[in-house]
Amino acid sequence: MEAKIGVFLCNCGGGMKNIDFDAAGAKVAKIRGVACVDLISDLCLEEGREKMAAGIRAENLDRVVVAACSPEFKEHVLGQVLENAGLDGHLLCMANIREQCSWAHEGDVTEKAVELMNMAVNKARLLQPVEKQDIAVDREVLVVGGGFSAVASALQFSRVGLRSTLLEKEVVLGTATRELEGLHGFDICSMIDAVEGDTNIEILTSGRMTTAKGTIGDFTVTITKEGEEISRKYGAIVLATGYRTELALGSGLELRADEEAISRAKIVSQEQLFGMLNDPFIDTKPKTIGFVFGFSDENSRFPTLATLNNALAAKKEWDSEIYVFCKDVEVDSEGVEKLYREARECGVVFLKCEVLPRIAVDNGRIAIEAEDVFLGEDTIVACDLLVAEELLFPTEGTAALSSLLNILLDSRGFYQDENVHLYPVASEKKGVFLVGGCRGDLDTGRVLTDISSAVMSIDKLLLSGTITVEIERVKADPQKCVACLTCIRVCPHGAIQLGRVDGGKEIAVIVDLACDACGICAAVCPAKAIDFQGYRDDQLLAQIEAIEES
Amino acid sequence: MEEIKQAMALYKKVLVAGCGTCVTVCWAGGEKEVGILASQLRLARSAEGSEIVTLEAIVERQCEKEMVAELKDKVTEVEAVLSLACGSGVQVMAELFEDKPVFPAVNTTFIGMPEKEGLWVEMCGACGDCFLDRTGGICPIVRCAKGLLNGPCGGTRKGGKCEIDPDKDCAWVLVYRRLEKQGRLDLMRQYYTPKNFRAVKRPGRVQATKA
Amino acid sequence: MNGRIIAFCCEHSAYPAADLAGKLGLHYPETLRIIRVPCAGRVDVIHMLRALEKGASAVLVLGCEDGACHHITGNIRARERVKHCDMLLREIGIDGRPVVMFNLSPNAPHKFVKAANEITKIIKESREAR
Repeated sequence: MEAKIGVFLCNCGGGMKNIDFDAAGAKVAKIRGVACVDLISDLCLEEGREKMAAGIRAENLDRVVVAACSPEFKEHVLGQVLENAGLDGHLLCMANIREQCSWAHEGDVTEKAVELMNMAVNKARLLQPVEKQDIAVDREVLVVGGGFSAVASALQFSRVGLRSTLLEKEVVLGTATRELEGLHGFDICSMIDAVEGDTNIEILTSGRMTTAKGTIGDFTVTITKEGEEISRKYGAIVLATGYRTELALGSGLELRADEEAISRAKIVSQEQLFGMLNDPFIDTKPKTIGFVFGFSDENSRFPTLATLNNALAAKKEWDSEIYVFCKDVEVDSEGVEKLYREARECGVVFLKCEVLPRIAVDNGRIAIEAEDVFLGEDTIVACDLLVAEELLFPTEGTAALSSLLNILLDSRGFYQDENVHLYPVASEKKGVFLVGGCRGDLDTGRVLTDISSAVMSIDKLLLSGTITVEIERVKADPQKCVACLTCIRVCPHGAIQLGRVDGGKEIAVIVDLACDACGICAAVCPAKAIDFQGYRDDQLLAQIEAIEES
Repeated sequence: MEEIKQAMALYKKVLVAGCGTCVTVCWAGGEKEVGILASQLRLARSAEGSEIVTLEAIVERQCEKEMVAELKDKVTEVEAVLSLACGSGVQVMAELFEDKPVFPAVNTTFIGMPEKEGLWVEMCGACGDCFLDRTGGICPIVRCAKGLLNGPCGGTRKGGKCEIDPDKDCAWVLVYRRLEKQGRLDLMRQYYTPKNFRAVKRPGRVQATKA
Repeated sequence: MNGRIIAFCCEHSAYPAADLAGKLGLHYPETLRIIRVPCAGRVDVIHMLRALEKGASAVLVLGCEDGACHHITGNIRARERVKHCDMLLREIGIDGRPVVMFNLSPNAPHKFVKAANEITKIIKESREAR
């Protein structure tokens, strides 16, 4: 049966003067399948939308085209109008005659507007409804890790009323974090106390995830704890496994055996220095301290913060002379500018150099040699303690977890954010979130932001206990699928599995809950077996065909 | 493509026939590739100022006469057939529709397996005299660039890579590692005489025992 | 050829960028026809070829910036396909009807306009060369 298409034009209250709406309407009315054309000047308003709904009912339309502003603004609202009028929201196709026609060009663009509407009508003819279903989800969250970001996440989940499990591989929470807390300015011990007293949080220490199956809302995870296997269901998984650091001294540091011992004692990490600063029984206070940081090509938020905090503390505790060799001081984190200023004001010397300084052992002291960019000459500082450049690495186990959960790692081996700008705390697998140092170099403020946004996203997903899912919007035709596994291998969201429908042969089955509707599978399928409602091949080609007709 | 274009030069209406099994799986002749080739043909022709009408069809397995026979109506309509099946499918098509010229659109090269999406590697040379029991399940005849039977050639690069193509693993390093794992390294000490590659008399023909 | 340029625009980047261009009153050639796609990775070689078959003088595929694709690999796959399509066109000796990919972010309307102008320039130059 030929579709009955209604076209609703909106002139944006006179905001599109270079389109002759009467002429356009008359032309569109002649397109095959168009049952009615209606000019409504205020689709933004409730009255306009009611008029549209009334029109749909009166003409008994089964497809709707709206020529108005960008679908980016109004598609979901107008889809609702269709639903109110008894039609599926997917039976709407919009022609963007405002942003991408009227406003983008000077002079009369009536003809282009008509062409855009023709494209939309062509596509609308082929639209099909998509069924929706509420799927029950598990409301528990698994938080992997036992450091600052994991503990803080669990506390926030509890605050919004979600139960969570903290899964830590070490015997106690916060093992690696205790040494860092002063550097970052948080109090892990009282946070752990709070977690232990919280009935919404279960703590599983000495545990490791061994398998993880399922999708968002319905993960089944097995955990091995002291030789025992525990199986649990979770609605979402948060990875908060942190990072580790290694000293980087640069190449060319060749030491004799006696120098080796000196270097071991006098070249330290930020954590070690912090420990020394808090040691009331330290025998000799270093008179001169050199810091080197910021020469790796990565962000250096953690080293910057640690250097500034430690330098200030050393000034205060020991009144040492302090030289900081760095490329740039990145002060983009909260409060860092102030710290930097304070450090300068109390006499910490910053030397800007372009390449990693050379380090040597000289007369029982550590010599740092570098070319100062501003002076344009070599500067040599002999110091009693060198706090060396540290490089950040993902924690051991990161790779194993990523293959277990089937999520990507970035080029440095950290978890890959789905989108660095838009969705930094989501992995490409729906329902698996990443917070804190496990996705790269972050300071405390950013970690807290991470946690808040992850908790809010998960709260929104799981709080009602159900998720509304579009059923079979993307679907492989069992007749055409040859189970070549291409789509399963390319799906960026791990949403396709090999399965059987009604006991038939094995084919690609798209898990609606996990699918993020990108259409990559539909494009790569060599058998053209995958249909993506709204962006089916014929629907895209119908729009292309409209240009031929013009 | 140049070959295909020339072969089609005489015709105004052709059938582009894909195969729904092996060549679909390896992205060479499924519905998607059929669509692309047909479109490419039409574009090429229109660039020359003439036209070509293309019909498109997919057969589940173009090596099966019964399945190819389903195309009868479409084949009758056209002047020639362009087959994206393997060499065997092309021949079945040609045999079934003897009056129509059938052209191959793909060059069938090897029997392989997918390493990842879009990358296939040759695994078997269909030599008819399987050697895999002695090499830990790794075929040196096709996976060694030189097809050596008795250990590596001596040109193996650091990291166990092939001297001819550093992207490829030296098959004999793989064999050694595999046999080492299985505790069967003694197999490496055996000498194997040159293989008789005429084990399969061409054309190959296999008659299964009647059940 | 009817001079139309078909631009497949990813709804996470190029489509909002085009909207923004309109909002800011940045002009680009009227011949551009935008087809909205959920990801540049949805666009297949056949869509590009069919656009040319239907008379388009060029095809643009516009996706997210490298490393910022909402679907991780969609923009990379799109680029590969554009390259493949270009190869297919070369094979049959069609030039002067370019298929080009650009990466941009949703807040880069100028880059969108630049892409539209650039492809128009390429078409014009190759037409004059003939």
